[in-house]
Amino acid sequence: MEDCIKVKNLNKSYGNRVVVNNLSLTVKKGEVFGLLGPNGAGKSTTIDCILGLKSFENGSVRVLGMNPHTDRKRLFERVGVQLQSSSYQGNIRVGEVCEEIAALYQSPADFRDLLVQFKLDHYVKQPVAKLSGGEKQKLSVLLALIPQPEVLFLDELTTGLDTVARREVWQVLTALKENGLTLFLTSHYMDEVEVLCDRVCIINRGKALVTDTVPELILKSPYKRLEEAYLWVMKEEIAI
Amino acid sequence: MKKFFTLLKIEGKLSLRCVDSIFFGICMPVGIMILIGLIVGQNPAPNDAGYTLIQSSFGALITVGICATAFMGIPLTIADYRDKKILKHFFVTPVSPTMLLWVHAVINMLLSIVSALLIYTVARIFFGYEIIGGKLSFIGSYLLVMVSMYSLGLLIASLCRTVKTANVVCSIVYFPMLFLSGATIPFEIFPQPLQSLASFLPLTQGIALLKSTSLGLETSLLIPLIVLIGSLVIGIILSIRFFRWE
Repeated sequence: MEDCIKVKNLNKSYGNRVVVNNLSLTVKKGEVFGLLGPNGAGKSTTIDCILGLKSFENGSVRVLGMNPHTDRKRLFERVGVQLQSSSYQGNIRVGEVCEEIAALYQSPADFRDLLVQFKLDHYVKQPVAKLSGGEKQKLSVLLALIPQPEVLFLDELTTGLDTVARREVWQVLTALKENGLTLFLTSHYMDEVEVLCDRVCIINRGKALVTDTVPELILKSPYKRLEEAYLWVMKEEIAI
Repeated sequence: MKKFFTLLKIEGKLSLRCVDSIFFGICMPVGIMILIGLIVGQNPAPNDAGYTLIQSSFGALITVGICATAFMGIPLTIADYRDKKILKHFFVTPVSPTMLLWVHAVINMLLSIVSALLIYTVARIFFGYEIIGGKLSFIGSYLLVMVSMYSLGLLIASLCRTVKTANVVCSIVYFPMLFLSGATIPFEIFPQPLQSLASFLPLTQGIALLKSTSLGLETSLLIPLIVLIGSLVIGIILSIRFFRWE
C-alpha cells in the first residue's frame, strides 16, 4: 500500500524546550492512525508541523507525496483538517459557515447531506454561537469533511461530545474509512481509539515511545484493554 | 473569483449584522450632516470665502465613514479572526488567508462609499449642496485618504497581539481622529495651539486635501499629499513586517 503521510526525523523546539524529538511515522492509504499521549506531549505541534502550519528545525514531511508548505493549494484540495478548539465568526449561522468553507474547494461535498448525517440539519439557520459544545464539535468535524478529503486530520475529534453524539461521529468516520479515507487523529479516549484506529503511536515529551497496531500493543502489555496498556507504556517510560 | 464573491457575500452579511459598524460608519455622519445643515443651512462660511458652511464641511464629513471602518472595522475584525484562529484555519485550505483580508477591505470600502454617497445625497437634496472643485480630483483624493487610513488600520491590527489591546488602541486612535481632525467639529473653530497639534494627525491632512479639492481652493497640497502617501507607504511596510496570522 502507498504511504499517505510520511514523517521522518521531525524535530521542533520552542527556544530551549524540545517539543517534537526525532519523530518518524508513516501512515498508509486507508489506514486510521492515532497519535496518543498526555496533554502537552506535542501532539498538536506535530499535527501543525505535518500540515505546514509550523516550521521545524529538521526532518521531512510528505502528505500524499507533497510538501505541505510549498504545495499548499494543491494538497489541501485533498486534505480535510479539524483543528483543536475551533471557533467561528461572531453571529455566523451554521449554513453560512458550511457555505463559506465549501466555497474554498473545487469539488466540495454537498454540506446539506453532511448536516443530515451529523443530525445538524435543523440548525442551518441557527447562529453557531447558540449550538451546544457537542454540536459545535460535531460541526467542526463536518467542516473538515466538506473538501471530500482523501486524508483527514482530526485533533481531539470527540472532546465534549455525549455518548450518542460520539457514536454518530464514529459511524460516519467508519463508513468513510470503508471508502478508503485515510485518517490521522489524536484522542484522549482509549475506547474511541480502540474502535477507530488500526495503528497508534504513543508519544511523550515529543518522543515516540511505541508505534504498533492496537491488538499488538495490548498483546505486548500484561493487560487486556488499550487504556491499561497505554498507562503501562507511559509508566514504563517514566521508570526508564 | 467565485470564491471571492461567496466570501464577500457571507462576510458582508456578517458585517451588516453588527449594528455598531452601520451606526458609526453611516448613521452618525449622515446625522451630523443633517444637524449642521439644520443649524447653519445655507449660511456662508464666516470668512466670507464664497462658499457655504455645508460646502466647507462636506469634505470633512465624508471621512467619518472612512474613520469608522479604518480604525474600528478593519483592525477589530482582523484581531478577532486571528484570535479565533479563523485566519490560521485558512492555511489548511486551498485558499490563502490573504483573500479574507481583501474581502474585508472591500466590505469596508463599500461601507465608506455608501456613507459618503448618502451624505452627498442628503446634502444635495435638502441643503442644495454643490461641489465647487473638480469632481475627479475630489474622488481621487477621497480614495487616497481611504487607502491611506486603511493602511494605518492594518498597522494597528498587525501591532496588536490580542483583541483587548486592539480594542484599546482603536479607541485611542479613533476618537481623537474623529474629533480633532475636523471630521466632525470644524477644524477652523479650534484654538491655534490645538490646530497645530491636530495638524499632526494624518486624517487632518486628509481632510485638508478633501476640503481643498471640493472647494476648488488654490492652496498648496504638498504637505497633505506627503503625509497621506507617507502614511500609506509606512503603514504597508510596517504591516508586512509585523503582521502575524496567529
